[in-house]
Amino acid sequence: MAGIGLVLNTAKDALLTQQYAMDVVSHNIANVSTEGYSRQTAIIQASTPIPYGGFIFGSGVGLQEIQREIDSFVETRLRERTSDYAAMAEKETYLSVVEGVFDENSGRSISAQFDAFWNAWSDLSNNPSGSAERAVLLESGATLSQSFNDIRNDLDQFGLELDLALEAGVQKVNQLTSQIATLNEQIISMEIQGNANDLRDQRDMLVRNLSEYLDVNVFQDSQGLLTVTTGRGYTLVSKTDAYALSFESSEVMWEGSTGKVAITDTVTGGKLGGWREVRDSIIPKYEAELDELARAVVWEVNRIHSQGVGLEGMSTVTGAFAVSDSAEELASADSGLDFWDGIETGKTFTLWVFDSAGNAVDTDITVTASTKLNDAGDTANSLVHLINDNAANVTAAEVDGALRITGDSGYTFAFADDESGVLAALGINTFFTGADSLDIRVNDTLKADTTLIAAGRIDAAGAFSPGDNTNALDMVALRDTQVALTRHTYDGVTTSGTDTLQGYFSYLVGSVGIKSQSVRREQEYAEIVVNQLTEMRDNMSAVSLDEEMTNLIKFQHAYAAAAKLISTADEMLQTLLQVR
Amino acid sequence: MRISTKAIYDTVTNNLAHVSDAMLHANQVVSTGKRINRLSDDPVGLVSVLNLRSSLDYIAQLERNITMGDSWLAMGETALAQVEEVLSQAKTLSIQMTSDTQGAEERASAAVEVEGYFHQVLSLANTQVNGRYIFSGTQTATAPFAWDDDGFGNQGIIYQGNDTEFEINIAKGINVAVGRDGTDIFGDDAFDWSDPDAGQANIFKTLLDLKSHLENNETDGIRAAMDELDSHMDNLRSLIADTGAKMNRLELKSNIIQELRLTYTDRKSELEDADVAEAIMDLKAKELAYQAALNSSAKVMKMSLVDFL
Repeated sequence: MAGIGLVLNTAKDALLTQQYAMDVVSHNIANVSTEGYSRQTAIIQASTPIPYGGFIFGSGVGLQEIQREIDSFVETRLRERTSDYAAMAEKETYLSVVEGVFDENSGRSISAQFDAFWNAWSDLSNNPSGSAERAVLLESGATLSQSFNDIRNDLDQFGLELDLALEAGVQKVNQLTSQIATLNEQIISMEIQGNANDLRDQRDMLVRNLSEYLDVNVFQDSQGLLTVTTGRGYTLVSKTDAYALSFESSEVMWEGSTGKVAITDTVTGGKLGGWREVRDSIIPKYEAELDELARAVVWEVNRIHSQGVGLEGMSTVTGAFAVSDSAEELASADSGLDFWDGIETGKTFTLWVFDSAGNAVDTDITVTASTKLNDAGDTANSLVHLINDNAANVTAAEVDGALRITGDSGYTFAFADDESGVLAALGINTFFTGADSLDIRVNDTLKADTTLIAAGRIDAAGAFSPGDNTNALDMVALRDTQVALTRHTYDGVTTSGTDTLQGYFSYLVGSVGIKSQSVRREQEYAEIVVNQLTEMRDNMSAVSLDEEMTNLIKFQHAYAAAAKLISTADEMLQTLLQVR
Repeated sequence: MRISTKAIYDTVTNNLAHVSDAMLHANQVVSTGKRINRLSDDPVGLVSVLNLRSSLDYIAQLERNITMGDSWLAMGETALAQVEEVLSQAKTLSIQMTSDTQGAEERASAAVEVEGYFHQVLSLANTQVNGRYIFSGTQTATAPFAWDDDGFGNQGIIYQGNDTEFEINIAKGINVAVGRDGTDIFGDDAFDWSDPDAGQANIFKTLLDLKSHLENNETDGIRAAMDELDSHMDNLRSLIADTGAKMNRLELKSNIIQELRLTYTDRKSELEDADVAEAIMDLKAKELAYQAALNSSAKVMKMSLVDFL
């Protein structure tokens, strides 16, 4: 058919088509601020031409399809970078809190407390019998150990909070993956009729949200279904099925056909990846080094303290460190002593026993590789029996794995020249108890009686004086003594080395600062990249009002022109009908 | 290039966030006066600051130690000088008493005077600073010299301290003796105190011998005691000189500490304190940038084709 009918038909199609285009424009304008919306374009095409009268006439216009403007390359890059950025942002948040824990400008500065502790020993060395100096020293020791406890507790607390965050993160991931699976289903049923643009936008948005939680790989099949896996290939969404993750005993679990697998370590990106890194690699490093330092403080201070003597001899003492098996060699891990490796075998210590007149009798006791705490079947190698058999007027006993020495009535005792380190290892005549940053404390024995703080030493004749400061001076020298201290990396690799106690703490604080600084820089960089990619994506896919306004006018005019066509065709028909 | 409406608004949001973050940081530097407000601001500088703080703290402690040591040494020097003075009086008296013009009666009364000298020396030997004995080795809570059994069944002035000198800490790993082993000053006590020919090197024994020689009117014995007094005074003078040398050393150390304090404080301030003028300039610059960003953003956001249709 041709002629005026064709003009009318063309005009009708044109009206409709321009109206569809206006619909698309209005949809775009309406979604100008919708997050994740991709602008849609009405693809308009000339209709199939019609041969007529020896010519081929165009038959007007039609709507081909409504297309969504996206660049899948940019989308993929954006998704990957979003994962990186989310991980960095979480690390940055937690590290800035960790930084606060180690804040050296606050009153909790361990560095300043080390100074106070050494200065208290120095003051004691200037006035060894002063009870005020002793009280101050005890207080500074307690404050120092309390700070170790506090920092460690805070770090532990972060670990627990991160567990909660991970658990909530896993639930969020499950929610997102099930929504993606549902959308897969909706899209495939809707796309029988055309492009499900808005549903696809929603699905892309969910995938982007998902990538904020963990690093994902996404594949699209020929039907348009998305398969989503974790960065290491554990399937999260396959066609219309979602695989839920679970969180069990601090691990993220993935359940496949062969059962549950812990995939925590494989998550490197997204919030989950950031939390995992802080929980499993950053905090453990700081805790390990804090423990290392606390352990060294306990051992080195105790080693010197156990050489000395307080203002008076002791009437009874119970070791602060207990063995788990009293028939095992003390200098072996089997003994269960925290500081078994500090014992030097083949060395001796001296036990001085004083009667009420001050007469002193010394007993040298040698610690060998086979010395045990208390083995009735091997009294020759049993510390308890060695003391009882060789030293008069004191009684040694084992109390719950700890060594207890008690003087007879009117007798006191003290220790000197412990080359073996066994006294420090058993916690006899020691300043600190505990073996890590969580349980380091001042020995309760000293809290109860500050006269037992060992500022002086017993001389070779068995004499000692409240005015002696020899041991205190040695303690002061510990401030600048290099001791063996192991450093840890974030990957759990250890390097042994030496440092002063305070120097090691400075190193630890420095490494917190450096880590936080580098994470912040990486985060800033990742943020810039994400912003740039977002801008690229938006410039491709998001709505420009200016453009839509232009289109609006364009289609309005086209619509008006098409309407004009109808009225013109109408006039032409009138003209024809008036012909008689 | 196509610019979407969302990109325009996002850019404005991001830029304003960045500029205001920079402004906040500049403000923090100005308001705290510190260049390092968090560990991550300058971790390397912070570790230096920590070490400097610790050094300053240690220096303050050393100053306390030195003040205390100085009082010990000064007291020790005074006591030694007084002992020397007493011995010198004893010698003058002895010279008079060796003269043939002096009779037994004069010598007997001189003996009483020497006994007085003996008690003076004994009390000087037990000199205390803040209740602690300075000539007792490290047994500073024990009076160093007292009458006791000499091990031969007789009474003598027996040393109760030990032979380790009382020390204070004046620098990393350096301790200085500020107290003394009493036997270094007053002589060894391990001999039979009833034997008149023993214990020549002991000041107390010399004075006791001198006293008994005066009582017994023995001029030879008085002369022998005079020689012993000379050797004691020589020893005391060298000990006084040694004490003076130690006091000089402490003073020198104290001066060094003053200088170190200045150097450390300067260095610490350089590392952690903000240059206020620079910080304020920086803050002004950030303020300006923020205002500029606000202005241009307001203009960009206002523009739209919608307004012209």
